[in-house]
Amino acid sequence: MDSALIPEGVKRCALWKFLLGLFLVGLVLAWGVYAMLLCWIKGLNQTNMNDYYGFALWIWADLAVIALGGGAFFSGLLKYVFGKDDLKNIINYAVLIGFICYSSALLILAIDVGQPLRSWFIFWHANVHSMLTEVAFCLSCYFAVLTIEYIPLILENRQVDKVPFFHNLSHNMHSAMAVFAATGAFLSFFHQGSLGGVSGVLFGRPFSYREHILIWPYTFFLFTWSAAAYGPSFTLFITWLTEKITRKKLVKDNTIFLLAKISGWMILTYITAKSADTLYWMFKTAPAQGLNWEFFYSNNALYGKWILFTEIVLCGWLPALLLVFKPTRENAFLRVLATLLGIIGVSLNRWVMVLQTMAVPVLTFDMWALYMPSWQEVATTILPVAYGVILIMISYRYLPIFPQEKELNPINATAEEAAA
Amino acid sequence: MKQTQTQNQHRPKRYGMAIDLDKCTGCGSCMVACFAENNVPFKQDETDKLLSITWMRVYKITNGKKFPETEVCYLPRPCQHCAGQHEGHSPCVSVCPATATDYSADTGIVSQIYTRCFGCRYCMAACPYHARYFNWWDPVWPAGMERYLSPNVSPRMRGVVEKCSFCFHRYQLARDKAYLEGKRAVSEAEYQTACTQACPAGAIVFGDLNNSEHAVYQIVQPDAHNHYKSKNPYAFRLLERLGTNTKVYYLSSREWVRKAGDNYLANEEPGASHAPNQHG
Amino acid sequence: MKLSRRCFLSFVLGGAAGTALTPLPWKLTDDLSIWSQNWPWTPVPPDGATNFVNSTCELCPAHCGITVRTVADRAVKIEGQEENANKTGGGACLLGLSGLQLLYGPTRVQGPLKRIEENGTIRFQPISWQQAIDEVVAKMAELRSQGKPQSVACLSGRDVGTVPQLFKRLLKAYGSANFVSMPSVEDAYASALRLTQGIDGFVGLDVENTDFILSFGSALLDGYGSPQRMMQAVGRLKKQRGTLVQAESRLSNTAAKADIWLAIKPGSEAALALGMAQVIISRGRYNSDFVNAHTEGFDSFAAMVKEKYAPSAVAEVTGIAPEVIAQTALAFAGAKNPLAICGRGKGQTPVSLKEVLAIQALNALVGSINRKGGAQTMPTYDYLNWPAVELDVTAQTGIAKGRLDGAGSDKYPHVGSLAHRLIEAIDASAGELQMLLVAECNPCYSLPDSDKVKAAFEKIPFIVSFSSFMDETARQADLILPNHVYLERYEDVPVMAGTVQPTIGLCQPVVSPLLNTQHLGDSIIKIALGLQGNIAKAFPWKNYESCLMETLGDQWPLMSDQGYWASEAAASSSERGFSTASGKLILMNGTLGAIFMAEAPVTASGGDYPLQLIPYDSIRLTSGYVGTPPFMIKTVEDTVLKGQEGFVALNPETGKSLGLASGDMATLITPVGQASVRVHHDDGVMPGVLSMPRGLGHSAYDSFLAAKGVNINQLIGTMEDPASGLDAAWGIRAKLVKA
Ligand SMILES: Nc1nc2c(c(=O)[nH]1)N[C@H]1C(S)=C(S)[C@@H](COP(=O)(O)OP(=O)(O)OC[C@H]3O[C@@H](n4cnc5c(=O)[nH]c(N)nc54)[C@H](O)[C@@H]3O)O[C@H]1N2
Ligand SMILES: Nc1nc2c(c(=O)[nH]1)N[C@H]1C(S)=C(S)[C@@H](COP(=O)(O)OP(=O)(O)OC[C@H]3O[C@@H](n4cnc5c(=O)[nH]c(N)nc54)[C@H](O)[C@@H]3O)O[C@H]1N2
Ligand code: SF4
Ligand code: SF4
Ligand code: SF4
Ligand code: SF4
Ligand code: SF4
Ligand SMILES: [Mo]
Repeated sequence: MDSALIPEGVKRCALWKFLLGLFLVGLVLAWGVYAMLLCWIKGLNQTNMNDYYGFALWIWADLAVIALGGGAFFSGLLKYVFGKDDLKNIINYAVLIGFICYSSALLILAIDVGQPLRSWFIFWHANVHSMLTEVAFCLSCYFAVLTIEYIPLILENRQVDKVPFFHNLSHNMHSAMAVFAATGAFLSFFHQGSLGGVSGVLFGRPFSYREHILIWPYTFFLFTWSAAAYGPSFTLFITWLTEKITRKKLVKDNTIFLLAKISGWMILTYITAKSADTLYWMFKTAPAQGLNWEFFYSNNALYGKWILFTEIVLCGWLPALLLVFKPTRENAFLRVLATLLGIIGVSLNRWVMVLQTMAVPVLTFDMWALYMPSWQEVATTILPVAYGVILIMISYRYLPIFPQEKELNPINATAEEAAA
Repeated sequence: MKQTQTQNQHRPKRYGMAIDLDKCTGCGSCMVACFAENNVPFKQDETDKLLSITWMRVYKITNGKKFPETEVCYLPRPCQHCAGQHEGHSPCVSVCPATATDYSADTGIVSQIYTRCFGCRYCMAACPYHARYFNWWDPVWPAGMERYLSPNVSPRMRGVVEKCSFCFHRYQLARDKAYLEGKRAVSEAEYQTACTQACPAGAIVFGDLNNSEHAVYQIVQPDAHNHYKSKNPYAFRLLERLGTNTKVYYLSSREWVRKAGDNYLANEEPGASHAPNQHG
Repeated sequence: MKLSRRCFLSFVLGGAAGTALTPLPWKLTDDLSIWSQNWPWTPVPPDGATNFVNSTCELCPAHCGITVRTVADRAVKIEGQEENANKTGGGACLLGLSGLQLLYGPTRVQGPLKRIEENGTIRFQPISWQQAIDEVVAKMAELRSQGKPQSVACLSGRDVGTVPQLFKRLLKAYGSANFVSMPSVEDAYASALRLTQGIDGFVGLDVENTDFILSFGSALLDGYGSPQRMMQAVGRLKKQRGTLVQAESRLSNTAAKADIWLAIKPGSEAALALGMAQVIISRGRYNSDFVNAHTEGFDSFAAMVKEKYAPSAVAEVTGIAPEVIAQTALAFAGAKNPLAICGRGKGQTPVSLKEVLAIQALNALVGSINRKGGAQTMPTYDYLNWPAVELDVTAQTGIAKGRLDGAGSDKYPHVGSLAHRLIEAIDASAGELQMLLVAECNPCYSLPDSDKVKAAFEKIPFIVSFSSFMDETARQADLILPNHVYLERYEDVPVMAGTVQPTIGLCQPVVSPLLNTQHLGDSIIKIALGLQGNIAKAFPWKNYESCLMETLGDQWPLMSDQGYWASEAAASSSERGFSTASGKLILMNGTLGAIFMAEAPVTASGGDYPLQLIPYDSIRLTSGYVGTPPFMIKTVEDTVLKGQEGFVALNPETGKSLGLASGDMATLITPVGQASVRVHHDDGVMPGVLSMPRGLGHSAYDSFLAAKGVNINQLIGTMEDPASGLDAAWGIRAKLVKA
């Protein structure tokens, strides 16, 4: 029925299957939207956040998706600026994933603030010293860039492309893409960094505070670096997942290996820096504030030392090495495992930098604070996932996301006839 | 006229507090005086202290020893009106993206502009003293009770952050009065906070840390060349090592109490002089 | 087709771009944010002319001077008076500061109410004031015509000042001696004064001038007597390097601030005082000048303490080491102006006569009676020069029947009122009390064994409450004739609470009455006028206000301006003498001897109850007539109240031995009742003791207070002091089992 919209030369599942899938994910989406409306109409008392835990689950999700969405800017940078042309076969998907991540992040922020109707004050009454101001500006600008990068993809839809105006627009946009990619990379550098800065500048919070280079705390650089390192892993993982679900090979191995190798080296350099930063914090920063590093991992099982080991060794050094060494990188299982570990690692890093920071008491007579998210928080955190799945489903079905799909999956004539 | 005013304002004020923990009985009058003065809302259940708005909060601290060696001390905690390592670089002010909380260079008071705040709560994350509170709910007064609300401080709407203002409206009233009466400056007695005034034990002293005639100055003996560190051996500030450079000083004759004011490694002595963090 | 799609798309895009260029979206965005800053459901307090009214706080016996800030016709803030007789220097306690929440609060009784029972459900129906007064008059007239005027009683929160005295006068003219006031440590002090000095009065504590305070469990920093004055005094004492000794089983805030904390076994205060007296005497460190010139019975007193209160024996009872007892006693005797203070907690419950006599004996031994920094004998206020009441025959016979509580009778000769005995009398012989008038107190909540009090109230045929609030007792009443609250009315409130400077506070209307209430004084006068005859004649005033103005006479202008009247402080001189037969202070005679030799009353004991439950007073909670307002409840720590659950505090050791961790739920059982509680480990509580605050567990009031925590009075029984008849309960045996 919708075959006119489906790209030429590829096969898609039956419409009813597609719609059923859409409906099921839509249910989850509706649940999330309901929770979101509750938060807007009744206020943030719908969450289990409190005055100690002013940042909670969904801010973590926000930081995590932005880190994971880093695949977009970094592959863009590699392709358009550094000329890694092979990446063209995966760049569309990276952009789409990035677009999903960033729009989700903005949505989450709109739910998170107590006065969403005034959230534009962040621009109007901007405090240039605030990392959050930097985040807001760069994030919105970069989202605009991602939108611009995503639009040509939409314009490539078979029917849209027939309109000469859109056809030309798409063509022209493609040729300007290098500029956008460079701009995007530049913006990303700052907002990824300023997101890291958000916790790094908190000099009242010895757990997350870091020394500065110029006006930026170390976390500024570590966040950008980690997003560039782990973002491609996420792109790879989602691509693998899509291949599994569609039961098709969508991107050729050489592209996959290349991105995996880049991601591996990036993770390796990042985790070296992160380890150095952690050691410096343990033995210099924290003691200067009168605190032994072990204190931060001492009160409860959730924030035990395991979390440090998991983040840095298990989900840092291990995936780095797995992706750097050719044999393990080219082993499908180990590569996917490595990307998965990487995803966990960077998410854990964002979790720790936000939630553990909130949990640790600073006043000597204060207490540790742990919190459990309410269902509304869980639902609103899952909402972007559902939204992302839907956007991927639609985009995959109707847009030529994977340039190599046709070549890798030639349509068997008889099968096509049968289907018709 | 303008000339004179400018001269009068030449030396900025630096309002601050000294709270004598030897005198404080933990009665909680300061908390209630603050609620009443500043239209602080209340709910049916205020026992979850992580959701209870108390611009002034009295902490109970103990020496951790067994009966009957146990000792307790109460520690009232308003906003500390941090100045940071360079004037105005308070943990909270520096992070607020919308300039909804601000540092007054004239008074040293950290303000909060409720109608500008859009509730991102970044300032709360930044404040190590938990002096900031979020309005998770719409403030609701039982029918009729809104009649006691003071017009000097606007009730806050849901979704914004609030905190101790050093009763800034009292400063404004005093300043206006002093101006109208052709006076040169606001006197010590003219501007006192509600908690200071209410304290039955006289434990709180409030005034200008830059004015050697004010009691608070004499008690604290601030060292203007060393981030206003107190020269009084019994005085301490909370988390001084973080470089927050607060304007609320505490006094105690008990060493364990002074030690509770900051974090120390096992081998460190309380009050040991450390260079605080230098932050950007 | 193609063309039209193109047109359509250009139209949409063009439209979007066009709209973005118009001011509309920007204006809307701006308007929305402005709307969010002005939500109509967030109140905007109206402005108006600001005024300040001086008045007196009536919420506790301290009767502090207050200044109320008003804006137009609204009261917006209560502050302490800068200058006043209570020496609070602008301070105010948190209850006083919360007063406007009581004034404007939701639990006030809106107007006169009558209790109606319909199909088994009870509700209160609004009635007119005329009907309310008529019904009271009719009932009283009926009982009087039956020759039973003595079956009408009044239970009052206070007994000094014009309003309680008008009440007393009404009962007297009517024919009943049953004016009963609520108990406090003042009762014990008053008995001691009568017995040892032959004086009707109260004890003033010259805390401003002492250099050594020896407190027997008095919550000097948690609301004892005049809370602010005590805090100021302790602050001054510490600043001047004086000494504060606190004898108390729990690390209260007072104990925490004390120089010496004597962690004493609960209930052994009298023994400790007598043990110290023994040390002082045996070491010859008593003030022989004072003792020789102004006391009688010293030798037999000395012999008595020597026989029974040697430090080793006292150590056994109190749990305090003999050398500590001796050192403390000698330090006390060695101080220049030492002062021993009696009255546990806030002093809102009496102590045994033995205890108050022992503590006053300590003051006498060191010469600190009527001396600077000592315990002053303060005469009763006597500014009410009203004409004598003419009693008709009915009244005379009624009064001759005596008091239901037995106070002043041969059995209880030393006391003026025994509220708990009134309750017992009602319980024992229903019918003797036909009508009870309750004013400014909440006995169904605040007396020990409150369930029993409620049950006794059920047996009273007719109860009239004058409460301003829908409290536990008002709920049991047949009629409620709500009084104005203190911020809406005139009233004189003589200050006792340990003052050394006779002071009469004046409550003034800060706002005009908000509800359909009536001044209690006017209600009394109207009832009297309704009863006619001699009763009406005893009330020659047009209304309460004219009665008050006439009574205060020349003082009125000054008082209404500054809000109080204060006389010179009582002269501090031991030469003032005493009104006993010998003119001396009696340390010991036959009566006192019997009291000293008696064992301390004990609570029900038994192996079933291995622990002791001890109530404590917290300044952040009220436990008397007024309920704790929302602001105060907000300050209560989460280790005292969490959600609706109240905590019992115990030593971690005790907790361990019972297998109860901090936060666990448990059932607290005493011989009187049981309750569900949460456990809180607190190193400041003596092992074996359970500690719980008074003031929680209300069944009445609003949702800010009701059903939160446990009313400890439901768990504690009365414990009658054999010497005075006062209920000297200080705790009870208890057990705690894991829920
Ligand atoms: N961010 C933010 N900005 C705002 C507002 C807001 O809510 N948020 N509100 C706006 C509003 S409503 C107002 S009124 C303005 C207030 O803004 P301003 O008028 O700037 O008020 P202040 O900053 O409080 O004080 C002004 C200066 O006057 C000095 N001063 C004090 N007394 C005297 C005196 O007697 N003579 C002279 N010559 N100087 C004196 C003070 O030291 C200070 O430097 O701010 C406006 N701007
Ligand atoms: N702590 C502290 N107190 C201050 C100051 C401070 O800096 N700190 N600044 C002082 C100064 S300079 C000023 S001007 C005042 C400002 O004090 P307020 O006048 O109380 O100002 P806002 O806090 O902005 O709140 C204004 C309130 O007015 C209501 N409002 C707004 N528009 C309208 C309207 O059109 N109609 C009606 N009926 N209501 C409206 C809204 O409910 C809003 O909450 O605060 C003074 N008090
Ligand atoms: S009012 Fe004074 S004594 Fe009471 S808690 Fe506050 S500072 Fe301490
Ligand atoms: S105490 Fe907290 S809220 Fe107050 S100035 Fe310091 S950081 Fe800001
Ligand atoms: S919550 Fe309000 S005051 Fe705090 S940082 Fe955000 S906008 Fe600023
Ligand atoms: S200074 Fe004013 S605003 Fe701050 S705690 Fe005291 S009463 Fe409250
Ligand atoms: S101490 Fe008593 S009289 Fe004084 S303000 Fe407090 S409640 Fe009122
Ligand atoms: Mo203003």
